[in-house]
Amino acid sequence: MKVTIVIILFHLCVVLPLKEKKKHIRSFYFECFKTTIGESSYQHSRVNQWTTIVIEQCLGQLSSLRQPFKYIASCVIMEKTGAGLQAANSCFWDNSTDETCTVHWENSSMHCILTVCSMAI
Amino acid sequence: MDEFHNGNEGSFNSEEADNIVKECIESTVGGYDYSQSQVNKWTASIVERCLTQLVKLGKPYKYIVTCTVMQKTGAGLHTANSCYWDTAVDGSCTVRWENRTMNCVVSVFAVSIA
Repeated sequence: MKVTIVIILFHLCVVLPLKEKKKHIRSFYFECFKTTIGESSYQHSRVNQWTTIVIEQCLGQLSSLRQPFKYIASCVIMEKTGAGLQAANSCFWDNSTDETCTVHWENSSMHCILTVCSMAI
Repeated sequence: MDEFHNGNEGSFNSEEADNIVKECIESTVGGYDYSQSQVNKWTASIVERCLTQLVKLGKPYKYIVTCTVMQKTGAGLHTANSCYWDTAVDGSCTVRWENRTMNCVVSVFAVSIA
């Protein structure tokens, strides 16, 4: 196994290398954010519901592919106030079969980061 | 959405991971104020240290460690995780830490290989 360190620099918006399958999955994630949150303003009372819906839709879509993988989905939503945010992931797994996909989406009042890791069984 | 499995044979020991993560955070950012120039180094150091300590336990797991550091300005932050795995042997642990100027959330996910 090899150690893979993936550092996501929030303010630099790192672009991950795209394969065809990943492109399709990434556009699905963007679509999830658009339909769930859209142009809504950040609301503390609704943010729990938004993260739940986005994550459930993503995991639902991945599990319907019926592939021998375990999945971990993580969603971060932060209100836009000028505060600094830094996120990092590190993974100890099998580089040849496991991978991660991170999507950053934003509207006028919040930043959203969705990270999905898939690990072969 | 997080599930904890404590004290079961063959399942993930989240208490042990909790102690490892707390110690890694304290030793990396304990006593410092939020600094944009340093935060990149801190998050990388936290995830690397946690991962190294977890791998040293020698258990048959794949690990994913995530770390989020946010400056305290009154902004709202919400994080959520969901996992599609074998709940009998896989597990996770989330630690929330803060000081006067920043919030830090570290999550450890352990996926069984055996």
